[in-house]
Amino acid sequence: MTSEKRNGETERVGVYICHCGGNISDHVDVEKVAAHAQRLPGVAVARTNMFMCSDPGQELIQQDIRSGRINRVVIASCAPSLHELTFRGAIKRAGLNPYLYEHANIREQVSWVHHGEPATRKAATLVAAAVAKAKVLEPLEPIRVEARRHATVIGGGVAGLRAALDLARRGIEVVLVEKSPFLGGMAAQLATLSSSGKNAGELIKALAQAVHAETRIGVCPGAEVIACEGSVGNFSLTLEQRAPERRPEWKHQPGDYVPFAGFVPALPDGVQQFTFETGAIVVATGFQPYSPAIGEYGFRRYPEVITLPQLIRSLAEDKARGSRLVIAGKPIRRVAMIHCVGSRQIPGIHEPGEGGTLNEYCSRVCCAAALQAAVAIRESYPETRVFEYYRDIRTYGRGQEELYEQASKKQVLFFRFEPEAPPRIEPGDGPHPLQVTVRDTLTFGEEVTAEVDLVVLAVGMEAGPVQALVEKLRLPVGADRFLQEVHPKLRPVEVATAGIFLAGTCQAPMTVGEACAAAQAAAAKTAALLAGGSVELDPFVAHVDPGRCDGSGACLEACPVKGAIAMLTVENQVEIWWRIERRQARVNPAQCTGCGICVAACPRKAINVNGWTLQQYEGMVDAILEG
Amino acid sequence: MKAVVDPDLLASLEKFGVADGAACFNCGTCTAVCSLSSEAAAFPRKLVRYAQLGLREKIMQSPEPWLCYYCGDCSETCPRRANPGEVMMGLRRYLTSRYDWTGISRLFYTSKAFEVLSVLVVAALVGAGFYAFHGPVVTERVALNVLAPNTVVERLDLALLAVLSLLLLSNAYRLFQAVMGNPSPEQRPDSGGRQPSLLHGIPLRVYLQEAKELAFQFLTQSRFAACGTKSQRTQWYVHLLVMSGYSIVFLLVVVGLRWFQTDKLYPLWHPVRLLGYYATFAILYGTTYAILGRLRKSRAAYAHSHASDWTFLILLWLTAFTGIAVHAARLLAMPLATYLLYVIHLMIAVPMLLIEVPFAKWTHQLYRPLVLYLVKVKGNARQS
Ligand SMILES: Cc1cc2nc3c(=O)[nH]c(=O)nc-3n(C[C@H](O)[C@H](O)[C@H](O)COP(=O)(O)OP(=O)(O)OC[C@H]3O[C@@H](n4cnc5c(N)ncnc54)[C@H](O)[C@@H]3O)c2cc1C
Ligand code: SF4
Ligand code: SF4
Repeated sequence: MTSEKRNGETERVGVYICHCGGNISDHVDVEKVAAHAQRLPGVAVARTNMFMCSDPGQELIQQDIRSGRINRVVIASCAPSLHELTFRGAIKRAGLNPYLYEHANIREQVSWVHHGEPATRKAATLVAAAVAKAKVLEPLEPIRVEARRHATVIGGGVAGLRAALDLARRGIEVVLVEKSPFLGGMAAQLATLSSSGKNAGELIKALAQAVHAETRIGVCPGAEVIACEGSVGNFSLTLEQRAPERRPEWKHQPGDYVPFAGFVPALPDGVQQFTFETGAIVVATGFQPYSPAIGEYGFRRYPEVITLPQLIRSLAEDKARGSRLVIAGKPIRRVAMIHCVGSRQIPGIHEPGEGGTLNEYCSRVCCAAALQAAVAIRESYPETRVFEYYRDIRTYGRGQEELYEQASKKQVLFFRFEPEAPPRIEPGDGPHPLQVTVRDTLTFGEEVTAEVDLVVLAVGMEAGPVQALVEKLRLPVGADRFLQEVHPKLRPVEVATAGIFLAGTCQAPMTVGEACAAAQAAAAKTAALLAGGSVELDPFVAHVDPGRCDGSGACLEACPVKGAIAMLTVENQVEIWWRIERRQARVNPAQCTGCGICVAACPRKAINVNGWTLQQYEGMVDAILEG
Repeated sequence: MKAVVDPDLLASLEKFGVADGAACFNCGTCTAVCSLSSEAAAFPRKLVRYAQLGLREKIMQSPEPWLCYYCGDCSETCPRRANPGEVMMGLRRYLTSRYDWTGISRLFYTSKAFEVLSVLVVAALVGAGFYAFHGPVVTERVALNVLAPNTVVERLDLALLAVLSLLLLSNAYRLFQAVMGNPSPEQRPDSGGRQPSLLHGIPLRVYLQEAKELAFQFLTQSRFAACGTKSQRTQWYVHLLVMSGYSIVFLLVVVGLRWFQTDKLYPLWHPVRLLGYYATFAILYGTTYAILGRLRKSRAAYAHSHASDWTFLILLWLTAFTGIAVHAARLLAMPLATYLLYVIHLMIAVPMLLIEVPFAKWTHQLYRPLVLYLVKVKGNARQS
């Protein structure tokens, strides 16, 4: 690696301090910080600007680079997660190595938390530390690895189908791995979808047929990932595929759509295992509906208590279509629906599930789905009355509020309860088998009883049982047990491991529309990553100084990532006549995550993380202590 | 007592004029804008809610419908057009029918055929009575007291009064039982469960203390004045006009017939003649105002007219009008016309009284002050 200093140039640092439109300058005296920076050794110029990230702000930096005034950049502004890439791009376009740039966060770490003189002092210190580091920065090049134009989508629900189709249409070969013998996931178990009013079965059928017809997609039903090796661009996945247990009544042919089951793909015979290489992985393993505990709202205690998915199916399968709903041969004159079952649970109020977990989140689809079912009942069975018991009605999103309006027009009765006083389900004492009693906040907290024939629990969404996959792909899991993205806003479909993306309800409760949006985002990200046949990775990975490494192997022991460090035997030609063999550590840049654990473990200080070397840290610490 | 939801009640209340209650989403705007609603008796949302859920017994025990004078502010501000004011009006009709033990009120409110028929039958009976029992017809001068001697009519009047009072008071007693039967929940100091009925628990002393209030409200209906905005006060003045006119005529006819129905003309300034003029003018003006208002739907309170509203107004207007006609015919010294008009006048006035006083709108005259009084009594009893 050649440094510009070694080429005989001295380092000339340019410092650029942002007002952030007052966000910073209201609390930090930016001019004072600039004056302080100007006096630091090695600083060629220090400037301020209202918005450094704006075009004029970037232009300021680029002019100084082009004129040769500076060859190192320090930017003091907001958190680097927001604009580091913006500035790196600007620097690169001006002809300087984009890694000769250091960032000081004087907004989140200074102006938003400190005020007055101490704020200005801290900002000046952070800038001085950044300048000290910038002076010893080395130019770096992004790491390039070959990538296969091939992706694997795990999960054949609506999100998986959508992602697979999008990828294939961008020219990428796709393997679609589905655990069950059907394509479609939970959406195949639904009827009319809120808020579009579209029929879920038809939607899934069309999507699955398109996937089926697409030659670039290989569908593997009845399959699960049992091993994952390699890294972005070159993952190696092993699947185990089993033929479904065929029940005698199974007459379905590949290409059939079975209502309330899904689309039937070509099914395998027996059990087989196979391994293949893939460039990127889209995880779309979905969710599972909450399963109420025995006795929760009378579930499994009274046969008249069912879940919302069960009701949706019964509604679709009632062929008699009389003036009142009939389920399992019994006429249903009154239905009670209870919202938030297994969602929005509160510690101290709700019983934790197995493993002591609580679902504290809102499942987001159940309010609309319950109202949708209520409207459907009132439309088809004018003699069946519907009572809805809710904590809050959360029919967010376009067109969904309409559902409340429709339900209200169709004389659905609403009751509202507090979480600590949920409705009680008891045997009825009149002509109806059950009665629901609630302290109704809409009736001034008075206790109100309704006699009903059916109680429907609007069960929410829970994270799917994907523990095995989480371990194999090392996926991050949130406190709510759903898979977790890097950043909910800035990187919503990525995980920390390059080349793995999330799509749909494996990540959080979503509607079909939202799951498809996430799937399309993941597909776009995957396609962009693989399109060039190679992938570019950040160069911030460990680097071994061969002169210092004595082959102790301490780094290999400490490294948490399989395959990131290897011990190799190298031959050293000491003299023409003298060659020695020694062991030496070698980093696989595509695997290394740059965590730096090996740096601390190496007794010879032979390893550094590029862009974060010990020398650079020392410079920063010294500057802070001096300041 | 368990409050049991009856989703079908609302539909059956439609006949009483409760039409749009189902649309209510319980925002409470109506209660917030109502100038008569108070913390102790918050309405109309409460009653809209009871109606929505079909909580019959809760409605039966609620004094609130009688505390509403229907300025219509709530209906005008309701974001769901649930017409809370009309719900309250409809509930007054419903409650009137539930207090009434004879079942006539229910028939009268829910069946247009019964409504028309009952008026016609009573009118026919009055006509037939005259036809069968009238006195000699004097044609050379107007001699009403020969045709229908005021002493006889007076006795009939008193008999009518006795019947009406019996019916009205027995219905009012049922109101009293319902309202006092159970403390309303927000006034129930977190007892959670049952509380003894207030019916027998309150000492007479407390009832007597508030008797003045009863009389005052009965005479002035002054709470009406607090209803709505200033411009809506007109409503109260009109109401007062009709009420005073009606009360005067009622007294003149029932107690003072021997001074009212005379064959000798009083001089113009005579108090009885003046009172008569005032009363007929007041009733005619008030009812014309209301009829025009209802025709033009000039305010929320007039936007929805139940068949019984028309019957009431038309009977009252016709009563006053035929009264004037009788008087005019007499001034013109036209004996036969006077007699005929007199019979027609009674054929309208008697059904009006017989139906409206114990079974329909005229019950409000007693029910409203009575409920106000009972609410006060309840409050005092709870304080002590
Ligand atoms: C009661 C109810 C009503 C709803 N109503 C509506 C509505 O009206 N409108 C609306 O927009 N949304 C509604 N939804 C939400 C809708 O069901 C979801 O948005 C949608 O199903 C999400 O699709 P998905 O592909 O993310 O997950 P899923 O549908 O769960 O699909 C995941 C797929 O992955 C497979 N899989 C899981 N693990 C593995 C593994 N390890 N390996 C391989 N494959 C695996 C599963 O077998 C499944 O086929 C409702 C949900 C519920 C519970
Ligand atoms: S969507 Fe509605 S029912 Fe579902 S958890 Fe949220 S608030 Fe509860
Ligand atoms: S009647 Fe109208 S204003 Fe009153 S609570 Fe209902 S929606 Fe709100």
